Amino acid sequence: MMTAPTATATAQATAQADQPILELRGLQKNYGQVQALKPASLAFRRGEIHAIVGENGAGKSTLIKLLTGVIRRSGGEVLLDGAPVALASPEEAIAHGINAVHQEVVLCRHLTVAANVFLGDEQTRYGLLRKRQMTRDAQRILDEMGFNIPAGAMLGSLTIGQQQLVATARATVRGTRFMIFDEPTAYLTRQEAAELFTLIRRFKDEGMTIVYISHRMEEVFELADRVSVLRDGTLVGTRDIDETTETELVSLMINRTLDQIYHKEQIPRGAVLLETRGLTGKGFREISLSVHAGEIVGLYGLIGAGRSEFALSLFGRHPATAGEICWKGQPVRIRDVNAAIGLGIALAPESRRDQGLNLNLPIGLNLNLPVYDRITFGPLVAAREEASRADRQIADLAIKTPGRRTLASSMSGGNQQKIVIGKWLNHGAEVFIFDEPTVGVDVGTKAEIYRLFAALLKRGAGIILISSYLPEVYELADTLHVFRGGRMAGTHRYRDAADEVVLAEAIGVE
Amino acid sequence: MTTTTETGTDTPVAPKRNYSVLFALTLLGLLLLLCTGLAIANPIFLSELNITNLLRQGSMIAILAIGQTFVIITAGIDLSVGAIAGFSTVIIAMLLQAGVAPWLAIVITLLVGLGIGIFHGFGITRMGLPPFIITLATMTSLRGIGLLMTRGSTISINNTGFTDFSTQSFLRIPSLFWMVILVAVPAYIFLDHTRWGRYLFAVGSNPESARLSGVRVGRIVFMAYALSAFFAAFVGVLLATRIGIGNATQADGWELQAIASTVIGGTSLFGAIGSIHGPLIGAFILAVINNGANLLNVNSFWQRIITGFLIIVIVFFDQMRRRGR
Repeated sequence: MMTAPTATATAQATAQADQPILELRGLQKNYGQVQALKPASLAFRRGEIHAIVGENGAGKSTLIKLLTGVIRRSGGEVLLDGAPVALASPEEAIAHGINAVHQEVVLCRHLTVAANVFLGDEQTRYGLLRKRQMTRDAQRILDEMGFNIPAGAMLGSLTIGQQQLVATARATVRGTRFMIFDEPTAYLTRQEAAELFTLIRRFKDEGMTIVYISHRMEEVFELADRVSVLRDGTLVGTRDIDETTETELVSLMINRTLDQIYHKEQIPRGAVLLETRGLTGKGFREISLSVHAGEIVGLYGLIGAGRSEFALSLFGRHPATAGEICWKGQPVRIRDVNAAIGLGIALAPESRRDQGLNLNLPIGLNLNLPVYDRITFGPLVAAREEASRADRQIADLAIKTPGRRTLASSMSGGNQQKIVIGKWLNHGAEVFIFDEPTVGVDVGTKAEIYRLFAALLKRGAGIILISSYLPEVYELADTLHVFRGGRMAGTHRYRDAADEVVLAEAIGVE
Repeated sequence: MTTTTETGTDTPVAPKRNYSVLFALTLLGLLLLLCTGLAIANPIFLSELNITNLLRQGSMIAILAIGQTFVIITAGIDLSVGAIAGFSTVIIAMLLQAGVAPWLAIVITLLVGLGIGIFHGFGITRMGLPPFIITLATMTSLRGIGLLMTRGSTISINNTGFTDFSTQSFLRIPSLFWMVILVAVPAYIFLDHTRWGRYLFAVGSNPESARLSGVRVGRIVFMAYALSAFFAAFVGVLLATRIGIGNATQADGWELQAIASTVIGGTSLFGAIGSIHGPLIGAFILAVINNGANLLNVNSFWQRIITGFLIIVIVFFDQMRRRGR
């Protein structure tokens, strides 16, 4: 950057204000022959909220990782305040004031909130930690942000939503000028999301530049000043938020219109497959419901309302302590996971990373894990059958991967979810439990998953769909049960209650 | 299936399998390089006597390392294998001294080893003890039990048919090395071509996901530790034929050599990455270093230092390449 020595201070200041804080020029990333991000040029303005939308695998995560120094670029350059920066390591990015809050919190559960806020940046005196001072400071920061979180509490004792807020607080104490939020609301309750939005707007007022990545269009329109769309690793466009519509953005992301996403077909309801009567266990009490063939039973509620615990109990992971389960009219006891699988129950669990996938193993092994006892030839695994089964799921579900030997960890969220689902399609089941199947999943994959539900129902399966995202269960479930505090707070047939009513039941306001 | 998306079809199909082959070849190359270097430095290295000796030395650690691999793939560790081997020499020596037929003595010894492994599995899956702790406990107490049983003395084995085994060769290859093949081939088939092998990797990668996929995680853990202890007892039998005595203090520190061989062979201590050939080559790399140091009259203390250095270098490069791909 050359500035004429005669330039006045005002001219300089104006130039600085007009100059983008961060500019990408032909930034790209290749993994072998796969172009994760094709050369992209984009300028982020000072103090704007810039949303980035795109399907899974569109290159959003790659872009974030490049900007935060987690991975190194294959080409192009990044200019910060007009000067090229290498962004070769996370430390360098942070030193430049570039920080990110990730969808899944990466902090230390066994340390206090204060210790996490100051992690890597501790206050010391005579080489010793000033714990009390840090707790006080952290509390002040949290209070200022309007979070009702005790700084002395262990991080692990907070909800995921609160942990997310702590992660945000942590980023602010490090002189952040450029903050990236990667789907921050995926695990938040409405209340927590509202708090976060207030905070993001305050950051903006303080002059911080914000990049906001989300799959939820309403959030983008609520928050952002501008929005950029990525598709298949290509930056396909940037729009001012006032000059675009949801329809336009979605059509930029995919070639599909919005009403095609919630795919619901009229499927006749068959016999009762599964019924629970007064089922009680850790985290849920006296749940009575039934699942018919051809029916989607939606379980809606806030995170922690006991839906996932109920699902894990049905699946035999934490057997119920009271009540009974009937399978096709016969009372059964589900003592462990294998008993549930043996009956014909499948679970795509809430957390892909912790429960759903063996991340550092090949996709093929993940897909075949439930069926290895069937594809043996004597004591040996039938290699050809193993390969063909994996390839079939990859083809049927359109999993985007170089091949079945690729590690599951290298896949995007949507494709990972497809692996979890494919595992059970490969095995087969009569009752499928999908716990938050579309968290961190792009619009296109969502639509594919919903169409898959219809296909399963037509084949005579029943589905339990657990979601914290009301439109999803509201539009898809034939029977909708609302959970609150471990109990069932309401039951509705398809669209027989307004969505406000359902929401009110879930959060407990009259 | 009615999914009709056509977008995924254009993705290139280029499976990347060559990494593990490449790593194995690199290790093999390192082994050959060491051998060539030593052969040039001291012609005695290539003498039949020395090679035979080297193969015998490496064989027992190699078998321990294979057993250890099963455990490490599940993200566990078995510190007791050296102690089990030492303890097994006592068991078999006492049985032979009591006039039990050698085949029966061997079977009983192996069953004792299996029992110890099952105990480890019990401690880990039922009592919830970390693998490090339960096997550490066995490691110290087995030595104690063995010493109590022999009252601190050494039991000699007078059955010459038994002790001759270790000095015999078949097709000019020492019998002990044949034992490695006897163990390694089924171990390879087990790990790479049976569902139990797949389950070992799955448990090491993410036990919760494995459990929710219908894998009986507890059984797999039992199996891994039972195999490791069984192999260790087998090594104890081989050791007894080689030294002709039963003594609970034998095979001291072998657990660490076995773990080192496993790690040099590319097994990840975090689980879910490992092979059979890797630890095999790893064990013989260590054996060649030991042997070479003896031949070149290098102070034996240096062997330990070189081994430690080698572990750091190989694991460092392995990690770097895994990250870089």
